Amino acid sequence: MLERLYSTRLRRQLVLAFVVAVIAVALFGILSVLFGVTILQYALAGFVVSSIVIVAAIGLTLLYGIRGFANFAYGDLMTLGAYIALFVALNLSVSVVWAALVAFGTLAVIGVFLEVLIFSRLEGRGPVPPIVASVGLALIIQNGIRAVATTQQWNYPVPAIQEIPIVAGLGIHPIRGIATLAAGMSFMLSAHILLKYTNLGKAMRATADNLELAKATGIDTKRVTYAAWAVSCSFASTAGVLLGLGTVVNPTMGFQVLLLTFAAVIVGGIGSPYGAMMGGLVIGLSQEMSVPLLLWLGQPDVIGLEHATAYKVAIPFMIMIAVLLVRPWGIAGRPPAFVRRVFILETAARALRSRSLPSRQEEGGGG
Amino acid sequence: MAIDTGFLVNIGFYVSIAIIFAILALGFNLQWGYTGLFNAGIAGFFLIGAYVAAIAITAPAPRVIIGGVTVYPGHLGGFQLPLVVGALLAMVASGTAAALVALPTVRLRADYLAIATLAFAEIVRIFAINLESVTGGTIGIIGIPRPIAFDPPNPFLTMVTIVGLGAAILLAVFLALQFISESPWGRVLRAIREDEEATMALGKNAFRFKLQAFALGGALMGLAGALFAVTLLYLEPSVSFAPSVTFSVWVMVIVGGWGSHRGAIVGAFLIYGLEWLSVQLKDFAPAVLKDSIFYIRLMLIGVLLILLVVYRPEGILPEKKRILR
Amino acid sequence: MTGGYILAVRQVQKAFGGIQAVDRCSLTVFPKSVTGLIGPNGAGKSTLFNVVAGLYRPDGGEIWFDGTRIDGLPPYEIVRLGLTKTWQIPHELKNLTVLENLVVAAKENSGERLFNLLVRPRAVKRDERRWRSRAREVLALTQLEGLANEHAKTLSGGQKKLLELARALMSDPVLVLLDEPVAGVNPTLVASLMDLIDKLRHEGLTFFLIEHDMNVVMNRCDRVIVMHQGRKIADGAPASVKADPAVIESYLGG
Repeated sequence: MLERLYSTRLRRQLVLAFVVAVIAVALFGILSVLFGVTILQYALAGFVVSSIVIVAAIGLTLLYGIRGFANFAYGDLMTLGAYIALFVALNLSVSVVWAALVAFGTLAVIGVFLEVLIFSRLEGRGPVPPIVASVGLALIIQNGIRAVATTQQWNYPVPAIQEIPIVAGLGIHPIRGIATLAAGMSFMLSAHILLKYTNLGKAMRATADNLELAKATGIDTKRVTYAAWAVSCSFASTAGVLLGLGTVVNPTMGFQVLLLTFAAVIVGGIGSPYGAMMGGLVIGLSQEMSVPLLLWLGQPDVIGLEHATAYKVAIPFMIMIAVLLVRPWGIAGRPPAFVRRVFILETAARALRSRSLPSRQEEGGGG
Repeated sequence: MAIDTGFLVNIGFYVSIAIIFAILALGFNLQWGYTGLFNAGIAGFFLIGAYVAAIAITAPAPRVIIGGVTVYPGHLGGFQLPLVVGALLAMVASGTAAALVALPTVRLRADYLAIATLAFAEIVRIFAINLESVTGGTIGIIGIPRPIAFDPPNPFLTMVTIVGLGAAILLAVFLALQFISESPWGRVLRAIREDEEATMALGKNAFRFKLQAFALGGALMGLAGALFAVTLLYLEPSVSFAPSVTFSVWVMVIVGGWGSHRGAIVGAFLIYGLEWLSVQLKDFAPAVLKDSIFYIRLMLIGVLLILLVVYRPEGILPEKKRILR
Repeated sequence: MTGGYILAVRQVQKAFGGIQAVDRCSLTVFPKSVTGLIGPNGAGKSTLFNVVAGLYRPDGGEIWFDGTRIDGLPPYEIVRLGLTKTWQIPHELKNLTVLENLVVAAKENSGERLFNLLVRPRAVKRDERRWRSRAREVLALTQLEGLANEHAKTLSGGQKKLLELARALMSDPVLVLLDEPVAGVNPTLVASLMDLIDKLRHEGLTFFLIEHDMNVVMNRCDRVIVMHQGRKIADGAPASVKADPAVIESYLGG
């Protein structure tokens, strides 16, 4: 019965995603006709950012849905993964890919440890204690890295690209662009396969959806929790490596992406990996494609906004706040039982409603 | 026989900053310890108060261009209002911002509220860094006037006035909060923290109470910001208002015991005391640890947080029973 | 049945994730009565109470209370109109004392408005004194005076139930919805509580209670309404309901 429920809901979501994709392609076509091909450059940048955010968001949302808490240490787990990969790549002279895999595995183990050591003791205490513990963890990780590796910036040992190749009028950096996109998509695909086709994945989805029901149907939620931590942290590590490849490796790199990741998770719907993919897309694209708009605002005859492009990071946050205002459960989430209308709407609705006396109420027979 | 005024000024600095943190902690305690609203954007309200006060009381600061390069972008200001007005404006600005933030967020679950307020604080910081003509950009606002200008300038006496001012404000805030939180209004806040649903079923408009508590807490954070501006005499947006400030205040309130005003103050002095001590002792540390001592201290705070949350969530001074006569 | 109603539920619907908890339920409660609501587990009784009290919004239907339409109103408005509800599983305010739990339930305490705290301190003091003494009265009625200054979390299960009832009485209600008010309370106390309810009924209150204790239902209720699978299946005097074949079948069939 569980199978059937999921395939109808999934089908609906896939159809929705397809429709959205078609609309998006049409939009891009129109935009490039109107504004020139450069708009696609921003879109490409948006897709690259989205790839990183999506990988991070899938990990975060899985843990959020199954463990029920917002992991404020997630950004620093990404940083940790990036640094481990850096360490391995530099000291063992292996390629970044192998180093990333080592980091992937290490962080999966660390994730299970965190659950055993800390977070299992906080079960049933509400959403705040784990957040506080995760902030403590974030402090430990971030400052531990600073203490060991200093605050200097590092770069992965990858060949430096002198000239960015131009393909079809767009500059595409082989590592920052193509490798990131490819990695992002392959991780999305593997997440999809894990969740849809493996027993573990199905168990994870069921647990994220309804913990009590999952326990009642015999799912070993302990095992699912450990798996969620492992997947979450290893995805974090990959996102960290991708981020390090795209920019630099420094102690605060993950924390800067943390909020973007939360934004993607909230927009997509907490607990839904497919929501995380859609949310990540929205976040990445909105951040990068707001640049032309900001540039326009920055022109002296419009508003003359100084450093206009620096505001691009604020755009996803504003989208997230808007989603929290209107539809807090996100694209792929479900509204809870206690939902009441927004306070202002509620007051207005009440004012408009009539309050006349009913005609005398007669009992309509028995039963 | 000269008293080492330099050392006393140093201690005075510790006390004045600890007082500022204490006010921040008291504001957060009202929001979280009393009402259960987990505000992760403390730094944002702190920033708003500090900048509003600074802009209100500072002399005009035009753009400075040397050799075609904008050395200092200038900032909004030149009103040169008295400190009292600046502080009041700061409270109004932060309180209003808090009310606006609260409108859509207080009905959300605690973790959503935390994420939304964290995002708010970051948005505020981005604006502070980039809206150069208003805030002075990454350099910030400099040359904030002291509360009392001594002629010739006397660091010791200046510090005495700052500490005295801070202590007076802290006392006033503490007494006011005691009064408010022990009142029937405060009781409803605690009821909401215990069980919001049940409190609504008892006939309380929980939304209104939460909004008021959040706005009041925000106003207090703005007051702390104003005090910060006249203590430091300059403001810059990147370090002083980073999320780590928010997390430090969390630690202070958790250590001191949420729900207790005294606990918030004790926690602030304790945790900031550790930070200040580590700076003082830095020169005495073995060379190999010298640079890392900052980070080790922060790591220890992280460990402390985790230990507290797992083993002793009530903190050092747990909430006391209220015996009604 | 003529005369006015005090509570009219008309075709109310409430679903939770695919389960129709309340399914076009219609019933009426008459003033100054002690009306029972019974039915097998899962019949939707508590859900109906939560909908009436404003904690859930109904998906459909209307609810009228004493001439005012209340479906869709927030709980605090409904309490202000004179309708209170207790919880089946006690929702005591754990870290508040018993006395505080009661005083919080008072309806018009001027000290709860920030404005009054600053501007009208005498009124604040006056109201506080009034409500504290009323709280002590109610505590005496429910035999909880000894625990007045204990944290509510230290109470036993039965005592928490009594606290629920005491809190409901604090807001000067006209209609009280009681969700299993005497479960876990010792029998002598049950008897005196039901006597209290009876006395209050003659003073003008109406009680609508969910109970599984058949003793209470049969001997203390004027009228009994039976719910099954989200809707009313029987309604009448206790004896006739008890003999109703549909009712018997619902309990056996489950």
